[in-house]
Amino acid sequence: MRKDKQLFTVFAVVSLLFFMWTGKSVCLAADIFIIRAEHLQQAPKGLKDPIWNQISSIPVSVQGRDVLSESKSIVSTQSAYTDEFIYFKLKWKDPTRSVVKQSWKFDGVNWHHQEGNEDRIALLFETTRINKFATRGCAVTCHSPPDVPKKDWKFTTRTSAEKGDLWHWKSARSAPYQYADDAWLTIAGNPTGSYRETGRRKDAGKGGDIKNHTQDESKPIYMQDPTKKQTVPGFLLKEEAIKINDYSIFKAGDIIPFRLPVKPGGSRFDVKAESQWADGHWTVMLSRKLDTGHGDDVSFNPLKRYSFAMALFDDSGDDHSKATRPMILIFDH
Amino acid sequence: MNNIPMKTRSLKLLEFLSLEKSADRLLALEVPKDALSWTRFCGALLLVLVVLLFLSGIFMAFYYSPIPGTAYDSVDFALFNVPFGSVVKGVHHYSWNLLLMVMGVHLGRSLILGSYKAPRQMVWVTGVIILLFVPLFIITGDLLPWDQKGYWSTQVRLSIISSVPGMGHIAARLLQGGSLTGVVALTRFYVLHILMLPGLLVLLIAVHFHFIRHRGLSEPLGADPVSRPRIPFYPNVVNRWLFLFIMVSIILGVISWHWIPPFGDPADPTDSSYIPKPEWWVLFLNQLVSVFKGGLAVLGSTIIPAGLAGLLICLPFIDRSPHRHPARRWKILLPAAAIVIAILTLSIMGYMEHFVLVEN
Repeated sequence: MRKDKQLFTVFAVVSLLFFMWTGKSVCLAADIFIIRAEHLQQAPKGLKDPIWNQISSIPVSVQGRDVLSESKSIVSTQSAYTDEFIYFKLKWKDPTRSVVKQSWKFDGVNWHHQEGNEDRIALLFETTRINKFATRGCAVTCHSPPDVPKKDWKFTTRTSAEKGDLWHWKSARSAPYQYADDAWLTIAGNPTGSYRETGRRKDAGKGGDIKNHTQDESKPIYMQDPTKKQTVPGFLLKEEAIKINDYSIFKAGDIIPFRLPVKPGGSRFDVKAESQWADGHWTVMLSRKLDTGHGDDVSFNPLKRYSFAMALFDDSGDDHSKATRPMILIFDH
Repeated sequence: MNNIPMKTRSLKLLEFLSLEKSADRLLALEVPKDALSWTRFCGALLLVLVVLLFLSGIFMAFYYSPIPGTAYDSVDFALFNVPFGSVVKGVHHYSWNLLLMVMGVHLGRSLILGSYKAPRQMVWVTGVIILLFVPLFIITGDLLPWDQKGYWSTQVRLSIISSVPGMGHIAARLLQGGSLTGVVALTRFYVLHILMLPGLLVLLIAVHFHFIRHRGLSEPLGADPVSRPRIPFYPNVVNRWLFLFIMVSIILGVISWHWIPPFGDPADPTDSSYIPKPEWWVLFLNQLVSVFKGGLAVLGSTIIPAGLAGLLICLPFIDRSPHRHPARRWKILLPAAAIVIAILTLSIMGYMEHFVLVEN
């Protein structure tokens, strides 16, 4: 009988080891990046929290298309989560800090837009399944529909049932308020606000920016309110701006931002961001509740895997970006 | 009514259902006492696993939609949104893995102890048929979640089936319902998986039990068949089985809770970059197919596997000697050991090729 029990124990141990193996036997296509969010007991206190040194960094390569097809970068990607929040720390090389975003410059007679745009990074997660997004990534949403000429491609999903959650950090427009503009993606049509005929939609709430120009678009209409302290140097926030009554106060060389960030709120302000440009690198830490309770956001269940993609925009104001191959977010336990 | 003793009420119910004679037969049924030894628990465990597979499968079928556009999402919903959905799917997943493993142990034990010998030839034959039948469940079930792994594994299997001379191409077309693996294939696999194959399995198990009932369990080596002690089937064996059922359910439930069953990305039939990794149980067959190439491919895909299956089924009719002790059956056990070693070697080679070398 003792021998029987020993046999049984060996069988049970072998079975357990076997289960552990079969439970992990999911394989992926060779060209899919896996980002593992590591579980933390305590939330990182910021970009420089030493806890980030313990979290593995995945070098995610991004590459441009069309006119940017030769352009490549690496985004060092770290991810972690607590019982309530998910965090991403993204770092990429960018020798030029672009936050100008066509600011106004006075030459003594006229106002002109300055050369230069802004740096941005965007993450797109599947909220509901987007057909082939898991294997093709951004290509299925940026190059859509594939059967129409390239000039007619839109940033959209193919059906209204397919939805994505877009986190869009913008160095000139969202960084001053330390957030990434939270939007969502669906089928093209019914644009709102300044959004073009695409599938991109703003999350509920306030945020974004307004254009700072007069009706004839020849000069700025807002300036820093002299009675308010400028909270973010170099940026003009809408809540700190007043209309310009007297243009004679400006002298040649004066600069006024063209895009005025609007104080964010609601679901649009779900993704908090801390950013820093130093030593020719951008470092951005994004954080969000795993489940915001908002219908326009992806709800993260740490038991699940999530398809997502990343796009990098260098001094860019248009859709041309460097994007990743498909990526999978897996929560480590 | 309440004053009527429970026993009387049970008897009345049996009488009402015309089951009193069946109940008497069950109560009178006796089995050898060694049926309860741990070395014999594989058969009982297999039955537990089959029941668990049926129950968890029924639960999953409540949420499953067998259409390519919705199949993945329905499984995703059952897995992550339905309370204990991952536990139920996990029990299903781990049960079939364990089922294959325990079947191998069960078969190995019977082979080593010569349990297939007369008068129990048909017990062995039906058991081997069940063993060969079970992979059909896995082949049909793998496609159902409509994930990358299931889809591309099915493509590989269908191409292997197609390569079988004669009926291979027709069989693959019948399964697929056309030239592509789409909605017709998924519907056919679903019907096979939840209706036809379970029905046939129940029939096969019934036939297996029929032969066990009439030919009896094999005696332990060296035991005296005449003075073999016996115990009542009910309640001794039934209660032991129920205990095993509860224990296995709890253990598999806990394992499923901790290790969520694998669920990959949704199937993309246009994504040819996906390379499916073979399941552990099919590694040696997969390796056989890759060892024999070109004109010899039929050896790996058909002749050797079919030959092994034929040998297994015919074993009781090949080894007709009355001896059961392994030491007196080395002519059978040595070649069997060589085959097992070959299978293990091929499996290790397959594991190295598909898991170790690829990941490095």
